[in-house]
Amino acid sequence: MANILIVDDSSTMRKIISRSLRQAGLPVDEIFEAGDGIEGLGVLNSGKKVDLILSDINMPNMDGLEFVKSVRGNGNNTPIVMITTEGGEEIIAQAISSGASSSIKKPFTPEQLQETLGGLL
Amino acid sequence: MTLNADIAASKGFSDDQLAKYIIDATQEVFSTMVMMDAADDYPLQEPITRFQCSITGMVGFAGLYSGVISVHCPVELAKKITSAMLGIDCDEINEDLNDAIGEIANMLGGGVKQVLSKGGLDVKLSIPTVISGEDYTVNSLSDIDCVVIPFRIGDEKFLVGLTLKREE
Repeated sequence: MANILIVDDSSTMRKIISRSLRQAGLPVDEIFEAGDGIEGLGVLNSGKKVDLILSDINMPNMDGLEFVKSVRGNGNNTPIVMITTEGGEEIIAQAISSGASSSIKKPFTPEQLQETLGGLL
Repeated sequence: MTLNADIAASKGFSDDQLAKYIIDATQEVFSTMVMMDAADDYPLQEPITRFQCSITGMVGFAGLYSGVISVHCPVELAKKITSAMLGIDCDEINEDLNDAIGEIANMLGGGVKQVLSKGGLDVKLSIPTVISGEDYTVNSLSDIDCVVIPFRIGDEKFLVGLTLKREE
């Protein structure tokens, strides 16, 4: 069973992702939530065990691209999947080159989550 | 090249092109994230700028294209949408309702942005803004491409609007 950190400025989206993870039948234990990249780093630095990070890109304070760079800069190799309305090829390429594993475009279905995340959990 | 070829080849958009992008994006968002079917009633018969007991979610574009995508929804329907999205019983205007309508605008903005910018770097999206009230008006102050699509969920209606300008 895996612990997952969801980083998204929308509380609605965090709840939808949480529900969809369970609907998809993924082996999820604890889910931690953060409203931006800074809060996400706070969760990671708190010592909580996180097996997978799901992050939005377009967020206030610290966006998803900066968040990925910071996580990798701290030597943390936890898989990061971007879940974002930003489907542009160049933005996704930036995220991947910064250290993200893959991306999922919003809106998404539980089946799409299962397909992308199944191999990471 | 970061712009879709057919978009780059054209100086602007026809109302029907813009309408199709909005209808496709809206129906995808509602079928996958809200679990409600939104039927379009395009074209809009009369311009609507005044809203009563409603909530409006907006996301702005900047860059190669500038503009705003907006969702205008009666509060009673917004409560049902929020309840369906979150799996809770939402019966008042609160943080959940504001966030849900803002996130719908955000996803619609992402859908339209993907049409405008294949690469995604030459058009930026803002963080969503949400307003609500008993009686308010929303006006665009410049003469730019604009289309408004009425949608129906059962007997209730909401609007999705897009103003768009290509920056030269």
